[in-house]
Amino acid sequence: MPTLKIRSAGALLSAAVALWLTPAYPHAVCGARTFPATIAIDDPGVLDELTLPTVSYVPFNSDGAHEWDASFSWTKTITPGLSVVIGSGPTWEHPGGYGWNALDTELQWQALCIPDAEFMMKLGFDISWAGTGTGIFEGTGGQNTYSPLVVAGLGFGTLPQSLKYLRPFAITAEFSTTTPGQDWTNGNPNVSTFNWGFTLQYSLPYFNSQVASIDNDFLKRLIPIAEFAFQTPIHNGGAAGVTQTGYFQPGVIYQADKWQFALEAMIPMTGATGHGAGVVGSLDFYLDDIPNRIDEPIFPHGFGIAPGI
Amino acid sequence: MRAFSVRIPLSLALALAATQAFAHAQLEKATPAVGGTVASASEIRLEFSEGVELKFTKVSLTGPGGAVPLGAAKTEPGNQAVLIAPITKPLAAGVYTVHWHAVAVDTHHTQGTFEFTVKP
Repeated sequence: MPTLKIRSAGALLSAAVALWLTPAYPHAVCGARTFPATIAIDDPGVLDELTLPTVSYVPFNSDGAHEWDASFSWTKTITPGLSVVIGSGPTWEHPGGYGWNALDTELQWQALCIPDAEFMMKLGFDISWAGTGTGIFEGTGGQNTYSPLVVAGLGFGTLPQSLKYLRPFAITAEFSTTTPGQDWTNGNPNVSTFNWGFTLQYSLPYFNSQVASIDNDFLKRLIPIAEFAFQTPIHNGGAAGVTQTGYFQPGVIYQADKWQFALEAMIPMTGATGHGAGVVGSLDFYLDDIPNRIDEPIFPHGFGIAPGI
Repeated sequence: MRAFSVRIPLSLALALAATQAFAHAQLEKATPAVGGTVASASEIRLEFSEGVELKFTKVSLTGPGGAVPLGAAKTEPGNQAVLIAPITKPLAAGVYTVHWHAVAVDTHHTQGTFEFTVKP
């Protein structure tokens, strides 16, 4: 039974990690600042977007297995400030096997954008649906998991002229909790986690348009970035024998007008996360910038309930 | 689920194949250059990544003596992505700041600020 408990808890934690890493991450524009779509954490914007695919490889995950993950995420605006995200994707583990992660849906609200401050924030509520995982995840979805979240971003564009070379910097951060619908399932503990992460990014597109002209067409579209994402058990962690996991992900984003490509290393930050550096890449399409029949909010003028809704 | 994942890229490919110039209008290049130094300037030329709506796109210039009057802005003939605002009188030496607010043809808003220097 202890082995079963640990395996079950490990599987749940893996599912939580996969959920946390599942990108649902639209790019965001607030004032002069464009926050790109990021991989390890969400970004602070609500726009029509398709992330397809995100592919990652880690040589040794928390169970010591080689792991490949692929996922997609589609964000659809309902009103200008309200969107629904749907995402999922398969995982291959060796040893272990194959399976689709649970279907993940999220409601997001663009709560704040202060253009002159380059500050924006959104609130969200994510549900990972029970019974929708397959294969190696089939037994891990006995109940839904719920994740309220907040994401914020701040550009450094308000720095004084004497610090103009620091203006292209921006930080974003996300905080959420992931809570299963039940604390225990058949005597096995279900772990709740506090998920937190942040990014530090330096936007050369911002540099080119605000600080000094860059002649190289490739260089002026790059955004060097460092992402950090951690999951800290806050309930049943001790019973399940799980501890904090997290990745440091340095990399770069190439940002075109209607799409972007991100490539990052995945460096485990704790022994429980895994061993060896992995890699993750993500292709993201800005559907709101691409003429199509699905690029506008379903209710473009909202309902007047709240800003953006 | 798999059928869904196959249909999406297919639809996306069709959508991209039909893509025209619609997106947030980002400033790609400016004359005088962003952060550059010039001997003189007779106009502010802003080259955006996408076409802009002239009616809703604004440019202003401030310098050592305060606001600098600009002539009526216009887009370049045949190229709605280039906005030109004439400077109506010679600029004295000093640092100038350009503020712009653009509305792309698909109504997305962008804005920005940059400086250039007129040398003595």
